[in-house]
Amino acid sequence: MKPSVEILVEKYQSNLYAAAFNMCKNAQDAEDVVQDTFIQYLSHKKGFESEQHIRAWLIRVAINKAKNKNNTFFRRNSLPLEDYIETLTFESEESSELFEAVMKLPEKYRIVIHLFYYEDYSVNEIADILRVTPSNVKVRLSRGRMSLRNTLKEVWEDDE
Amino acid sequence: MTNKEKYKQAFSAIHASDDFSLEVEKMERTKKQHKFKTMISFVAVCVMIVGSATAAYAADVGGIQRTIQLWIHGDQTEATLQFDGNGNYSMDYTDGEGNVKHQAGGGVAFSPDGTEIPASEEELTEQLTAPDVEYEDDGSVWVYWLDQKVAITDKFDNGVCYVKLESGKETLYMTVKYQNGYSTSPHKYPNPSEFN
Repeated sequence: MKPSVEILVEKYQSNLYAAAFNMCKNAQDAEDVVQDTFIQYLSHKKGFESEQHIRAWLIRVAINKAKNKNNTFFRRNSLPLEDYIETLTFESEESSELFEAVMKLPEKYRIVIHLFYYEDYSVNEIADILRVTPSNVKVRLSRGRMSLRNTLKEVWEDDE
Repeated sequence: MTNKEKYKQAFSAIHASDDFSLEVEKMERTKKQHKFKTMISFVAVCVMIVGSATAAYAADVGGIQRTIQLWIHGDQTEATLQFDGNGNYSMDYTDGEGNVKHQAGGGVAFSPDGTEIPASEEELTEQLTAPDVEYEDDGSVWVYWLDQKVAITDKFDNGVCYVKLESGKETLYMTVKYQNGYSTSPHKYPNPSEFN
């Protein structure tokens, strides 16, 4: 299957943006990553097995493109993260604290936490997307959770 | 509220800027440009040569002649390449300053019994078209491959850089050690400790 890009843009734009922002910590870079990811989809010649396959592929490509973005010298840093956070409207103080705590995590824990808690992926699925072993994902997830629990105290439940 | 619900609520606050739009037409155009570039790379076999790698061979020979595109010190130019069928090639090209240059080279493989086998035209071409790294005077570092010129100056981490090179039908994973060699594989990034 190879659905039209219009359908996928509508369906996954927000998810890809969230994953890209999680990695890049920068709105403009995240937008570039989303754009590049869909262009990559258009250039991708092979079909996909299922809807889940497409979603995982798009997220993997977005994460890789975000990593590349982070490695480039001319990375945009025009608006510091703190300033960007001030422009956001959170539903509660807790949400704001949680967002900031996540963004302070090291990248390797942050993306695993994001894929688990935002995208509802299992440990094995995350391992597949990131091309790492499931045990590596478990370790990153555990350390990320521990850090969030230490920072957020009662706001973050012990769900391991 | 579960942690997942809290997390989703927190991250629902972020969204792309109001002036951001994914114009499908624009993406289609970009894709076509990309395809066009890829097609060009198939039409013109682009070769990149590093001057120091060309041994001096007396190669005034006949054989198969080809006109190709090649990279020399950051300039893409056209060259006439001749293979003599005995593992040697010779090449004439015009450099970036308009001077006509001649260089030649060759290679051999060894059979299990130690016998030398002259490199075939395909092997020589493969060698010539392999990606290469150049360190410029201004400190910039470039990878040249087919019709591509990739800046890797700022991609080194602890002296090692990983570059994925893609053409229409081929992907190469390249590991570069700063001023200390490089290695490529079609399957995965070579481990830096495995070469040089």
